[in-house]
Amino acid sequence: MEAVQNLLMGFSVALTPMNLLMAFVGSILGTLIGVLPGIGPAAGSAMLIPLTFSMDPTGAIIMLTALFYGTQYGGTITSVLLNVPGEAASVVTCLDGYQMAKQGRAGVALSVAAVGSFIGGTFATICLVFAAGPLSRWALEFGPVEFFSLLLLGISLLMGLAGKSMIKALMMGVFGLALAMVGTDPTKGVPRFTFGVMELLDGIGFIPIIMGLFGLAELLENAEKSLAQTVLAKMSSLIPTRQDVRDSAGAIVRGSLIGTALGLIPGITNSASSFLAYIAERKSSKHPERFGTGMIQGVAGPETANNAHANGALIPLFTLGIPASPTIAVIMGAFLMHGLIPGPFLFKEHPALAWGVIASFCIGNVMLLILNLPLIGMWVKVLKIPYGILCAVIMGFLILGSYSVSNSAFDILVMTIFGVIGYLLRKLEFPLAPVVLTLILGPMMERSLKQSLEISQGSFLIFLKSPLAVVFLVLTALVLLLPSLKFFRRSKEAISGEEPV
Amino acid sequence: MLRIHQVSALLFMAASGYMMWEAWELEYYTPVGPGAGFFPFWLGVILGAMSLIWLVQLSRPAGKPEEGRFLPDFKGRIQIAATIAALVLTALLLDLLGFQLTMFLFLIFMLLFLGKQPIWMSLIISAIGSVGVFYVFGKFLDVRLPLSSLSLLNKLGL
Repeated sequence: MEAVQNLLMGFSVALTPMNLLMAFVGSILGTLIGVLPGIGPAAGSAMLIPLTFSMDPTGAIIMLTALFYGTQYGGTITSVLLNVPGEAASVVTCLDGYQMAKQGRAGVALSVAAVGSFIGGTFATICLVFAAGPLSRWALEFGPVEFFSLLLLGISLLMGLAGKSMIKALMMGVFGLALAMVGTDPTKGVPRFTFGVMELLDGIGFIPIIMGLFGLAELLENAEKSLAQTVLAKMSSLIPTRQDVRDSAGAIVRGSLIGTALGLIPGITNSASSFLAYIAERKSSKHPERFGTGMIQGVAGPETANNAHANGALIPLFTLGIPASPTIAVIMGAFLMHGLIPGPFLFKEHPALAWGVIASFCIGNVMLLILNLPLIGMWVKVLKIPYGILCAVIMGFLILGSYSVSNSAFDILVMTIFGVIGYLLRKLEFPLAPVVLTLILGPMMERSLKQSLEISQGSFLIFLKSPLAVVFLVLTALVLLLPSLKFFRRSKEAISGEEPV
Repeated sequence: MLRIHQVSALLFMAASGYMMWEAWELEYYTPVGPGAGFFPFWLGVILGAMSLIWLVQLSRPAGKPEEGRFLPDFKGRIQIAATIAALVLTALLLDLLGFQLTMFLFLIFMLLFLGKQPIWMSLIISAIGSVGVFYVFGKFLDVRLPLSSLSLLNKLGL
């Protein structure tokens, strides 16, 4: 009952004209980013953060979260019409979605995907509504010892599941933590790793780093490829037949459950959710051999799962303050830049904002459902814009976004340097998701470790005195050590995909 | 490819060595708990250990990277180098020439020379992306973009 009352209070915040506008703008921009090649949700969200500085924090967070789940809708359009996934999570949609398009059923594939995405997203939001209260109350009991152990578990999960090599993921995690160390030490006030550069005394801005690693690096990677001319499949009627509805209903239910459950676990990407939903559909089908030939379940299941995952992945952020993916880490950064700390205290100190943003998820999903189907023609036109123009415009936004964080041209140089680093790391097959997560969580981790050791006067045994911390540490050890077993490594390869960046 | 991976592992090891050395220069431990160097020192140790494991993995048949080109072909290399150079120049010229002129030049270069777009299209997009963005961001989003530090350009509103 309390959850429903809180949600109603949230709707009173989310339904103000300004916040509705923010949800609308975020949804549209998210779909655009999902449609466009060469820019992912992490870089897209990072580019927009500077534009929100003068905004009210509630509106700003509503816009950025709407952008995040909006990208999932956009990615479907290119998968179905072009056989090119706009986002990594939509890769599996190409298998049956494009086949449906070739059979003249693109409209049906897109409308079923949109309805599935809406149901999946709404289901995950309802889970968030009911989980938020109990989980955040539980998290409020955490001291620095439990918090450090939880952060360690969250980061380990991400590193354990990101990419194919645990060693490379760990190296990237440490790289992110090292970047977080640059600047002035928070307790002693001494400069660390600043190389005598004045601009580094406040640390390296995470926005230029993310824009470099995820935005510029991808554009540089595309610069060496000759992108194929886009051949669009023809659009058809959007209305599914009764048989289509019957076939997709089960897939949407399964996709909602799979996506929401996997979204809760940091490190599991939404491409893994859509992949597992696709496998679940094949397994539950009487005709698994027909998958890949234009089965509607092959579109409905994965598309529902990736949207449920996107909304479900916000549950750990809102309740525990732990981001589950790079884009959510960017959203967490936006919270911090507006002076808010996501996690259990958010519900206690800023209930109107927390519940307003949660209520906006329902509104944003309705907006995306209503807007996207009639606007498919417009998105198709966007896809016809030559890549040379898109690339220049995205670069312009990268410059603008980097500069406006602290009105400093130095940040453009930082973005460029990290673009080159990101490009080289991609070539060396390093997963980049751990860098962003540890970059954002690094200062919190260091602070809670220091506080814990100060309480115990330097004794690490304090971590063994809290039963909860022991549970988290044992789970961390399992996550880090299990991949060395061959059996687990095989199953890990099955669920780790390209991270959605 | 193998050589590039091996060199990268060595570079990571060098970076970890630097981190440990720099952290050692800072205070490692204080009477009330860990100092500024404690956390970075252990990060350096972990990074060094991981880099060493990676290097060892590379020497085993199962750990060898797939063969292929690391760097792109000549055209790709030029494209990438030109993009990076344009970004660095933009960062260096932004305060001197102001946002509007610098962004106009950047976009013209990207559209006309790298993107091979028609001149009229390049001019229109560059004008919108520079002058248009300057006014929209300043007026509606309260994001102040820089004017030129050269008095002549500044007087012209650039």
